[in-house]
Amino acid sequence: MTCSDVQQVLPDIVDGDAEFQSHLDSCPACSALVADLRLIAAGAQELAEAEQPPARVWVNIANQLRAEGIIHDPGPVSVRPALLPSRPRRSIVWWLAPVAAAVLAAVSYQVAHKQQPFQTKVAVQPATQQPAQSVTASQTPQSTPAELASPATKHPQQLAQDRTPSSSKTARPADSKVEENRVAAEVSPPASAEDQRFLTEVSERTPGMRSTYENQLRAVNGEIRDTLEFVRRHPGDIDARQHLLEVYQQKAMLYQMALDRIQ
Amino acid sequence: MPHLKRVAAGKGDLTDPKQKVTEAEAIERAKQGDEGAFETLYQLHKRRVYSLCLRMVSNPSQAEDLAQEAFLQLFRKIGTFRGESAFSTWLHRMTVNVVLMQLRRKALPSVSLEETLDTEEESSRKEFGADDLKLTGSIDRMQLTRAIDHLPPGYKTIFVLHDIEGFEHNEIAEMMGCSIGNSKSQLHKARLKLRDSLRSMRAEKARKTG
Repeated sequence: MTCSDVQQVLPDIVDGDAEFQSHLDSCPACSALVADLRLIAAGAQELAEAEQPPARVWVNIANQLRAEGIIHDPGPVSVRPALLPSRPRRSIVWWLAPVAAAVLAAVSYQVAHKQQPFQTKVAVQPATQQPAQSVTASQTPQSTPAELASPATKHPQQLAQDRTPSSSKTARPADSKVEENRVAAEVSPPASAEDQRFLTEVSERTPGMRSTYENQLRAVNGEIRDTLEFVRRHPGDIDARQHLLEVYQQKAMLYQMALDRIQ
Repeated sequence: MPHLKRVAAGKGDLTDPKQKVTEAEAIERAKQGDEGAFETLYQLHKRRVYSLCLRMVSNPSQAEDLAQEAFLQLFRKIGTFRGESAFSTWLHRMTVNVVLMQLRRKALPSVSLEETLDTEEESSRKEFGADDLKLTGSIDRMQLTRAIDHLPPGYKTIFVLHDIEGFEHNEIAEMMGCSIGNSKSQLHKARLKLRDSLRSMRAEKARKTG
Protein backbone atom coordinates (compact mmCIF):
# COMPACT_ATOMS: atom_id res chain seq x y z
CA MET A 1 0.00 0.00 0.00
CA THR A 2 1.53 3.30 -1.12
CA CYS A 3 0.62 6.94 -0.75
CA SER A 4 -0.48 6.97 -4.38
CA ASP A 5 -2.87 4.13 -3.69
CA VAL A 6 -4.33 6.07 -0.80
CA GLN A 7 -4.63 9.16 -2.95
CA GLN A 8 -6.91 7.30 -5.36
CA VAL A 9 -9.43 6.53 -2.62
CA LEU A 10 -8.86 9.49 -0.35
CA PRO A 11 -12.47 10.70 -0.45
CA ASP A 12 -13.72 7.31 0.75
CA ILE A 13 -11.11 7.18 3.50
CA VAL A 14 -12.06 10.62 4.75
CA ASP A 15 -15.71 9.60 4.79
CA GLY A 16 -15.02 6.58 6.97
CA ASP A 17 -13.63 3.71 4.92
CA ALA A 18 -11.23 1.92 7.28
CA GLU A 19 -9.71 -0.30 4.63
CA PHE A 20 -6.45 1.65 4.47
CA GLN A 21 -6.02 2.29 8.17
CA SER A 22 -2.84 0.28 8.33
CA HIS A 23 -1.17 2.65 5.86
CA LEU A 24 -2.42 5.69 7.73
CA ASP A 25 -0.98 4.30 10.94
CA SER A 26 2.43 4.13 9.35
CA CYS A 27 2.40 7.25 7.14
CA PRO A 28 2.43 10.63 8.92
CA ALA A 29 1.82 12.60 5.73
CA CYS A 30 -1.27 10.67 4.68
CA SER A 31 -2.45 10.51 8.26
CA ALA A 32 -2.16 14.28 8.66
CA LEU A 33 -3.95 14.89 5.37
CA VAL A 34 -6.84 12.62 6.26
CA ALA A 35 -7.06 14.16 9.72
CA ASP A 36 -7.21 17.65 8.22
CA LEU A 37 -9.91 16.76 5.73
CA ARG A 38 -11.98 15.07 8.44
CA LEU A 39 -11.56 18.13 10.64
CA ILE A 40 -12.87 20.33 7.85
CA ALA A 41 -15.87 18.05 7.27
CA ALA A 42 -16.63 18.01 11.01
CA GLY A 43 -16.30 21.78 11.26
CA ALA A 44 -18.73 22.19 8.40
CA GLN A 45 -21.44 20.32 10.29
CA GLU A 46 -21.42 23.07 12.91
CA LEU A 47 -22.44 25.60 10.30
CA ALA A 48 -25.74 23.96 9.36
CA GLU A 49 -27.87 26.22 11.57
CA ALA A 50 -25.38 28.87 12.44
CA GLU A 51 -27.21 31.84 10.97
CA GLN A 52 -30.36 33.58 12.14
CA PRO A 53 -32.48 35.44 9.59
CA PRO A 54 -33.65 38.94 10.51
CA ALA A 55 -37.21 39.40 11.77
CA ARG A 56 -38.33 41.12 8.58
CA VAL A 57 -38.13 37.82 6.69
CA TRP A 58 -41.10 36.43 8.61
CA VAL A 59 -42.96 39.73 8.38
CA ASN A 60 -42.57 39.71 4.60
CA ILE A 61 -43.65 36.07 4.38
CA ALA A 62 -46.72 36.68 6.53
CA ASN A 63 -47.72 39.76 4.55
CA GLN A 64 -47.41 37.90 1.29
CA LEU A 65 -49.38 34.92 2.57
CA ARG A 66 -52.09 37.27 3.73
CA ALA A 67 -52.15 39.06 0.42
CA GLU A 68 -52.54 35.75 -1.38
CA GLY A 69 -55.31 34.67 0.96
CA ILE A 70 -53.34 31.68 2.21
CA ILE A 71 -53.48 32.99 5.75
CA HIS A 72 -57.14 33.25 6.66
CA ASP A 73 -58.29 35.94 9.02
CA PRO A 74 -60.09 34.54 12.05
CA GLY A 75 -63.84 34.15 11.47
CA PRO A 76 -66.33 36.65 12.89
CA VAL A 77 -66.11 36.63 16.63
CA SER A 78 -69.06 36.86 18.97
CA VAL A 79 -68.96 40.12 20.80
CA ARG A 80 -68.21 39.20 24.37
CA PRO A 81 -66.60 35.76 24.50
CA ALA A 82 -63.74 36.47 22.09
CA LEU A 83 -62.65 39.48 24.06
CA LEU A 84 -62.95 38.11 27.55
CA PRO A 85 -59.67 36.71 28.80
CA SER A 86 -59.65 32.91 28.83
CA ARG A 87 -56.47 32.73 30.83
CA PRO A 88 -54.65 35.04 33.19
CA ARG A 89 -53.17 37.96 31.37
CA ARG A 90 -50.13 39.93 32.26
CA SER A 91 -51.21 43.04 34.11
CA ILE A 92 -49.14 45.22 31.86
CA VAL A 93 -51.46 44.63 28.89
CA TRP A 94 -54.70 44.46 30.88
CA TRP A 95 -56.12 47.50 29.15
CA LEU A 96 -56.04 46.04 25.61
CA ALA A 97 -59.02 43.68 25.87
CA PRO A 98 -61.39 46.06 27.73
CA VAL A 99 -60.70 48.84 25.20
CA ALA A 100 -61.59 46.60 22.29
CA ALA A 101 -64.57 45.14 24.16
CA ALA A 102 -65.95 48.58 25.05
CA VAL A 103 -65.70 49.81 21.49
CA LEU A 104 -67.35 46.72 20.11
CA ALA A 105 -70.11 46.71 22.71
CA ALA A 106 -70.97 50.35 22.02
CA VAL A 107 -71.24 49.81 18.30
CA SER A 108 -73.15 46.55 18.68
CA TYR A 109 -75.68 48.28 20.92
CA GLN A 110 -76.15 51.00 18.35
CA VAL A 111 -76.67 48.59 15.52
CA ALA A 112 -78.93 46.20 17.41
CA HIS A 113 -81.11 48.60 19.38
CA LYS A 114 -81.02 52.11 18.01
CA GLN A 115 -81.20 51.81 14.25
CA GLN A 116 -84.15 53.40 12.45
CA PRO A 117 -86.40 51.24 10.25
CA PHE A 118 -85.11 51.29 6.73
CA GLN A 119 -87.48 53.29 4.56
CA THR A 120 -86.00 53.80 1.12
CA LYS A 121 -82.97 52.82 -0.91
CA VAL A 122 -79.34 53.43 -0.20
CA ALA A 123 -78.00 56.89 -0.91
CA VAL A 124 -76.05 56.90 -4.12
CA GLN A 125 -73.86 59.22 -6.07
CA PRO A 126 -75.00 60.82 -9.30
CA ALA A 127 -74.75 58.33 -12.12
CA THR A 128 -71.50 59.75 -13.51
CA GLN A 129 -69.67 59.11 -10.26
CA GLN A 130 -71.38 55.94 -9.28
CA PRO A 131 -69.31 52.85 -8.70
CA ALA A 132 -70.50 49.70 -10.44
CA GLN A 133 -71.68 48.01 -7.25
CA SER A 134 -74.22 50.76 -6.58
CA VAL A 135 -75.81 50.80 -10.02
CA THR A 136 -78.48 48.28 -9.08
CA ALA A 137 -79.45 50.30 -6.04
CA SER A 138 -79.90 53.55 -7.93
CA GLN A 139 -81.88 52.01 -10.72
CA THR A 140 -84.36 50.24 -8.49
CA PRO A 141 -86.08 52.86 -6.41
CA GLN A 142 -88.32 50.22 -4.93
CA SER A 143 -85.42 48.00 -3.83
CA THR A 144 -85.67 46.40 -0.47
CA PRO A 145 -82.68 46.16 1.83
CA ALA A 146 -82.21 42.53 0.83
CA GLU A 147 -81.75 43.51 -2.81
CA LEU A 148 -79.17 46.15 -2.12
CA ALA A 149 -75.44 45.62 -2.12
CA SER A 150 -74.34 43.66 0.93
CA PRO A 151 -71.69 45.08 3.21
CA ALA A 152 -69.22 42.71 1.65
CA THR A 153 -69.53 44.41 -1.71
CA LYS A 154 -69.92 47.87 -0.34
CA HIS A 155 -66.25 48.63 0.12
CA PRO A 156 -65.50 51.41 2.60
CA GLN A 157 -63.70 53.28 -0.15
CA GLN A 158 -66.95 53.18 -2.01
CA LEU A 159 -68.71 54.28 1.14
CA ALA A 160 -66.22 57.09 1.49
CA GLN A 161 -67.04 58.18 -2.03
CA ASP A 162 -70.74 58.24 -1.31
CA ARG A 163 -70.55 61.39 0.69
CA THR A 164 -72.46 63.98 -1.29
CA PRO A 165 -75.97 64.13 0.05
CA SER A 166 -77.30 66.15 -2.90
CA SER A 167 -78.52 63.14 -4.84
CA SER A 168 -79.42 61.16 -1.79
CA LYS A 169 -82.76 59.51 -2.02
CA THR A 170 -82.82 58.38 1.54
CA ALA A 171 -85.81 59.78 3.32
CA ARG A 172 -84.33 61.19 6.45
CA PRO A 173 -86.27 61.24 9.62
CA ALA A 174 -87.07 64.67 10.90
CA ASP A 175 -84.58 64.34 13.76
CA SER A 176 -81.79 63.09 11.52
CA LYS A 177 -79.35 65.65 12.81
CA VAL A 178 -79.99 64.60 16.38
CA GLU A 179 -79.58 60.99 15.35
CA GLU A 180 -76.29 61.82 13.62
CA ASN A 181 -74.92 63.50 16.70
CA ARG A 182 -75.97 60.64 18.95
CA VAL A 183 -74.33 58.08 16.70
CA ALA A 184 -71.16 60.14 16.52
CA ALA A 185 -71.00 60.54 20.27
CA GLU A 186 -71.59 56.89 21.07
CA VAL A 187 -69.49 55.19 18.44
CA SER A 188 -66.42 57.38 18.15
CA PRO A 189 -63.27 55.38 17.66
CA PRO A 190 -61.04 54.93 20.69
CA ALA A 191 -58.70 57.78 21.45
CA SER A 192 -55.45 57.61 19.48
CA ALA A 193 -53.53 57.54 22.74
CA GLU A 194 -54.78 53.98 23.20
CA ASP A 195 -53.49 53.04 19.79
CA GLN A 196 -50.14 54.54 20.68
CA ARG A 197 -49.99 52.54 23.88
CA PHE A 198 -50.90 49.47 21.89
CA LEU A 199 -48.04 50.07 19.47
CA THR A 200 -45.65 50.80 22.31
CA GLU A 201 -46.49 47.46 23.90
CA VAL A 202 -46.07 45.66 20.58
CA SER A 203 -42.69 47.37 20.08
CA GLU A 204 -41.50 46.27 23.47
CA ARG A 205 -42.76 42.71 23.26
CA THR A 206 -42.40 41.88 19.59
CA PRO A 207 -40.35 44.64 17.94
CA GLY A 208 -40.34 42.91 14.59
CA MET A 209 -44.13 43.16 14.36
CA ARG A 210 -44.49 46.86 15.05
CA SER A 211 -44.55 48.03 11.46
CA THR A 212 -47.06 45.32 10.53
CA TYR A 213 -49.44 46.31 13.30
CA GLU A 214 -48.89 49.99 12.66
CA ASN A 215 -49.86 49.59 9.01
CA GLN A 216 -52.87 47.47 9.85
CA LEU A 217 -53.98 49.88 12.54
CA ARG A 218 -53.67 52.79 10.17
CA ALA A 219 -55.74 50.95 7.57
CA VAL A 220 -58.49 49.93 9.96
CA ASN A 221 -58.65 53.38 11.57
CA GLY A 222 -59.02 54.88 8.13
CA GLU A 223 -61.90 52.54 7.38
CA ILE A 224 -63.52 53.37 10.70
CA ARG A 225 -63.19 57.07 10.01
CA ASP A 226 -64.67 56.80 6.51
CA THR A 227 -67.48 54.48 7.54
CA LEU A 228 -68.30 56.61 10.56
CA GLU A 229 -68.52 59.65 8.38
CA PHE A 230 -70.96 57.86 6.09
CA VAL A 231 -73.06 56.63 8.98
CA ARG A 232 -73.24 60.16 10.34
CA ARG A 233 -74.63 61.35 7.04
CA HIS A 234 -76.89 58.36 6.52
CA PRO A 235 -77.93 57.15 9.95
CA GLY A 236 -80.79 55.12 8.52
CA ASP A 237 -78.50 53.02 6.36
CA ILE A 238 -78.52 49.51 7.85
CA ASP A 239 -75.79 48.25 5.57
CA ALA A 240 -73.49 51.06 6.59
CA ARG A 241 -74.12 50.44 10.27
CA GLN A 242 -73.43 46.74 9.76
CA HIS A 243 -70.23 47.58 7.95
CA LEU A 244 -69.20 49.89 10.77
CA LEU A 245 -69.69 47.04 13.21
CA GLU A 246 -67.57 44.76 11.06
CA VAL A 247 -64.79 47.31 10.82
CA TYR A 248 -64.75 47.68 14.60
CA GLN A 249 -64.66 43.90 14.84
CA GLN A 250 -61.59 43.97 12.63
CA LYS A 251 -59.91 46.40 15.00
CA ALA A 252 -60.85 44.26 17.97
CA MET A 253 -59.37 41.25 16.18
CA LEU A 254 -56.17 43.20 15.61
CA TYR A 255 -55.89 43.83 19.34
CA GLN A 256 -56.73 40.20 20.03
CA MET A 257 -54.02 38.97 17.66
CA ALA A 258 -51.50 41.19 19.38
CA LEU A 259 -52.59 39.87 22.76
CA ASP A 260 -52.15 36.30 21.57
CA ARG A 261 -48.73 37.07 20.24
CA ILE A 262 -47.55 39.04 23.24
CA GLN A 263 -48.41 36.32 25.70
CA MET B 1 -32.67 10.20 7.44
CA PRO B 2 -29.36 11.97 6.83
CA HIS B 3 -30.90 15.42 7.06
CA LEU B 4 -32.69 14.87 10.34
CA LYS B 5 -29.50 13.96 12.13
CA ARG B 6 -28.07 17.32 11.14
CA VAL B 7 -31.18 19.20 12.21
CA ALA B 8 -30.87 17.67 15.66
CA ALA B 9 -27.73 19.67 16.16
CA GLY B 10 -29.62 22.93 16.07
CA LYS B 11 -32.65 24.52 17.61
CA GLY B 12 -35.21 22.68 15.51
CA ASP B 13 -34.64 19.28 17.07
CA LEU B 14 -36.97 17.13 15.11
CA THR B 15 -35.64 13.99 16.71
CA ASP B 16 -37.50 15.21 19.79
CA PRO B 17 -40.91 13.46 19.71
CA LYS B 18 -42.57 16.42 21.41
CA GLN B 19 -41.41 18.78 18.71
CA LYS B 20 -42.47 16.33 15.98
CA VAL B 21 -46.00 16.43 17.41
CA THR B 22 -45.89 20.21 17.45
CA GLU B 23 -44.80 20.26 13.83
CA ALA B 24 -47.50 17.78 12.79
CA GLU B 25 -50.15 19.88 14.53
CA ALA B 26 -48.81 23.03 12.95
CA ILE B 27 -48.95 21.47 9.50
CA GLU B 28 -52.60 20.53 9.91
CA ARG B 29 -53.51 23.95 11.20
CA ALA B 30 -51.51 25.64 8.48
CA LYS B 31 -53.58 23.77 5.91
CA GLN B 32 -56.56 25.61 7.40
CA GLY B 33 -54.82 28.95 6.94
CA ASP B 34 -53.81 29.48 10.56
CA GLU B 35 -51.17 32.19 10.72
CA GLY B 36 -49.79 30.98 14.03
CA ALA B 37 -49.24 27.55 12.54
CA PHE B 38 -47.30 29.00 9.61
CA GLU B 39 -45.18 30.95 12.02
CA THR B 40 -44.51 27.85 14.11
CA LEU B 41 -43.23 26.04 11.04
CA TYR B 42 -41.14 29.03 10.10
CA GLN B 43 -39.57 29.27 13.54
CA LEU B 44 -38.74 25.57 13.54
CA HIS B 45 -36.88 25.70 10.25
CA LYS B 46 -35.77 29.28 9.67
CA ARG B 47 -32.15 28.85 10.73
CA ARG B 48 -31.58 25.81 8.56
CA VAL B 49 -33.14 27.40 5.50
CA TYR B 50 -31.45 30.75 5.90
CA SER B 51 -28.05 29.24 6.68
CA LEU B 52 -28.24 27.09 3.58
CA CYS B 53 -29.11 30.08 1.42
CA LEU B 54 -26.36 32.19 2.95
CA ARG B 55 -23.70 29.54 2.48
CA MET B 56 -24.66 29.09 -1.15
CA VAL B 57 -24.77 32.74 -2.18
CA SER B 58 -22.56 34.40 0.45
CA ASN B 59 -24.77 37.49 0.40
CA PRO B 60 -27.10 38.19 3.36
CA SER B 61 -29.58 40.24 1.35
CA GLN B 62 -29.89 37.61 -1.38
CA ALA B 63 -30.05 34.91 1.27
CA GLU B 64 -33.01 36.67 2.89
CA ASP B 65 -34.84 36.83 -0.44
CA LEU B 66 -34.12 33.19 -1.18
CA ALA B 67 -35.18 32.02 2.27
CA GLN B 68 -38.36 34.02 1.94
CA GLU B 69 -39.07 32.50 -1.47
CA ALA B 70 -38.39 28.98 -0.23
CA PHE B 71 -40.86 29.34 2.63
CA LEU B 72 -43.45 30.97 0.40
CA GLN B 73 -43.24 28.18 -2.16
CA LEU B 74 -43.56 25.62 0.59
CA PHE B 75 -46.48 27.33 2.30
CA ARG B 76 -48.34 27.73 -0.97
CA LYS B 77 -48.18 23.98 -1.43
CA ILE B 78 -48.74 22.94 2.14
CA GLY B 79 -52.18 21.66 1.27
CA THR B 80 -50.55 18.97 -0.83
CA PHE B 81 -48.23 17.68 1.90
CA ARG B 82 -49.31 14.18 2.78
CA GLY B 83 -46.62 13.21 5.26
CA GLU B 84 -45.05 10.43 3.23
CA SER B 85 -41.67 12.06 3.76
CA ALA B 86 -40.41 14.29 6.54
CA PHE B 87 -41.55 17.89 6.30
CA SER B 88 -37.98 19.05 6.85
CA THR B 89 -36.82 16.98 3.90
CA TRP B 90 -39.46 18.56 1.71
CA LEU B 91 -38.49 22.04 2.83
CA HIS B 92 -34.82 21.31 2.49
CA ARG B 93 -35.16 20.10 -1.08
CA MET B 94 -37.33 23.06 -1.97
CA THR B 95 -34.76 25.45 -0.56
CA VAL B 96 -31.97 23.88 -2.56
CA ASN B 97 -34.06 24.08 -5.71
CA VAL B 98 -34.83 27.73 -5.10
CA VAL B 99 -31.15 28.51 -4.62
CA LEU B 100 -30.01 26.50 -7.61
CA MET B 101 -32.62 28.19 -9.79
CA GLN B 102 -31.26 31.52 -8.68
CA LEU B 103 -27.68 30.51 -9.39
CA ARG B 104 -28.64 29.26 -12.84
CA ARG B 105 -30.63 32.41 -13.54
CA LYS B 106 -27.56 34.42 -12.73
CA ALA B 107 -25.53 32.12 -14.98
CA LEU B 108 -23.26 31.24 -12.10
CA PRO B 109 -21.84 27.76 -12.52
CA SER B 110 -23.29 25.64 -9.77
CA VAL B 111 -21.02 22.88 -10.92
CA SER B 112 -18.01 23.86 -12.91
CA LEU B 113 -16.94 21.07 -15.21
CA GLU B 114 -13.59 22.72 -15.82
CA GLU B 115 -12.74 22.25 -12.20
CA THR B 116 -12.92 18.52 -12.60
CA LEU B 117 -10.12 18.57 -15.15
CA ASP B 118 -7.17 19.23 -12.86
CA THR B 119 -4.06 17.52 -14.07
CA GLU B 120 -2.88 14.55 -12.12
CA GLU B 121 0.33 16.39 -11.25
CA GLU B 122 -1.54 19.30 -9.78
CA SER B 123 -3.72 16.97 -7.76
CA SER B 124 -0.73 15.17 -6.37
CA ARG B 125 1.01 18.38 -5.40
CA LYS B 126 -2.05 19.62 -3.59
CA GLU B 127 -2.84 16.58 -1.59
CA PHE B 128 0.32 16.15 0.43
CA GLY B 129 1.23 19.01 2.67
CA ALA B 130 4.12 19.60 4.98
CA ASP B 131 3.71 18.51 8.57
CA ASP B 132 4.45 21.93 9.91
CA LEU B 133 1.45 23.37 8.10
CA LYS B 134 -1.08 20.76 9.06
CA LEU B 135 -4.26 21.83 10.76
CA THR B 136 -4.38 20.91 14.40
CA GLY B 137 -7.02 21.18 17.03
CA SER B 138 -10.36 22.69 16.14
CA ILE B 139 -11.03 24.88 13.15
CA ASP B 140 -11.87 28.51 13.70
CA ARG B 141 -15.48 28.91 12.57
CA MET B 142 -14.97 32.39 11.16
CA GLN B 143 -11.98 31.26 9.16
CA LEU B 144 -13.85 28.26 7.82
CA THR B 145 -16.81 30.46 6.85
CA ARG B 146 -14.51 32.85 5.06
CA ALA B 147 -12.71 30.03 3.30
CA ILE B 148 -16.02 28.54 2.14
CA ASP B 149 -17.12 31.93 0.83
CA HIS B 150 -14.01 32.04 -1.33
CA LEU B 151 -14.47 28.63 -2.86
CA PRO B 152 -15.25 28.56 -6.58
CA PRO B 153 -19.04 28.28 -7.07
CA GLY B 154 -19.05 24.65 -8.17
CA TYR B 155 -16.93 23.47 -5.25
CA LYS B 156 -18.90 25.59 -2.83
CA THR B 157 -22.24 24.16 -3.88
CA ILE B 158 -21.15 20.54 -3.50
CA PHE B 159 -19.37 21.21 -0.21
CA VAL B 160 -22.34 23.04 1.27
CA LEU B 161 -24.79 20.37 0.18
CA HIS B 162 -22.70 17.44 1.41
CA ASP B 163 -20.64 18.49 4.39
CA ILE B 164 -22.87 21.21 5.80
CA GLU B 165 -26.36 20.14 4.78
CA GLY B 166 -25.85 16.40 4.90
CA PHE B 167 -27.07 15.36 1.47
CA GLU B 168 -25.65 12.09 0.13
CA HIS B 169 -23.78 12.00 -3.16
CA ASN B 170 -26.62 10.25 -4.97
CA GLU B 171 -29.01 13.01 -3.85
CA ILE B 172 -26.58 15.72 -4.91
CA ALA B 173 -26.08 14.06 -8.27
CA GLU B 174 -29.84 14.02 -8.82
CA MET B 175 -30.26 17.66 -7.82
CA MET B 176 -27.27 18.93 -9.75
CA GLY B 177 -27.65 16.77 -12.81
CA CYS B 178 -24.17 15.36 -12.47
CA SER B 179 -22.73 11.93 -11.76
CA ILE B 180 -22.04 10.53 -8.29
CA GLY B 181 -18.37 10.34 -9.21
CA ASN B 182 -18.37 13.99 -10.16
CA SER B 183 -20.00 14.91 -6.88
CA LYS B 184 -17.36 12.99 -4.91
CA SER B 185 -14.56 14.49 -6.94
CA GLN B 186 -15.83 18.05 -6.53
CA LEU B 187 -16.25 17.52 -2.80
CA HIS B 188 -12.74 16.20 -2.45
CA LYS B 189 -11.28 19.14 -4.33
CA ALA B 190 -13.36 21.54 -2.26
CA ARG B 191 -11.97 20.09 0.96
CA LEU B 192 -8.43 20.30 -0.37
CA LYS B 193 -8.88 23.93 -1.35
CA LEU B 194 -10.31 24.68 2.07
CA ARG B 195 -7.35 23.01 3.68
CA ASP B 196 -4.99 25.19 1.66
CA SER B 197 -6.96 28.31 2.54
CA LEU B 198 -7.06 27.52 6.22
CA ARG B 199 -3.37 26.77 6.35
CA SER B 200 -2.66 30.06 4.61
CA MET B 201 -4.85 31.92 7.06
CA ARG B 202 -3.14 30.32 10.01
CA ALA B 203 0.29 31.05 8.56
CA GLU B 204 -0.71 34.66 7.99
CA LYS B 205 -2.03 34.94 11.51
CA ALA B 206 1.14 33.39 12.92
CA ARG B 207 3.24 35.88 10.97
CA LYS B 208 1.25 38.83 12.29
CA THR B 209 1.31 37.72 15.90
CA GLY B 210 4.83 36.33 15.71
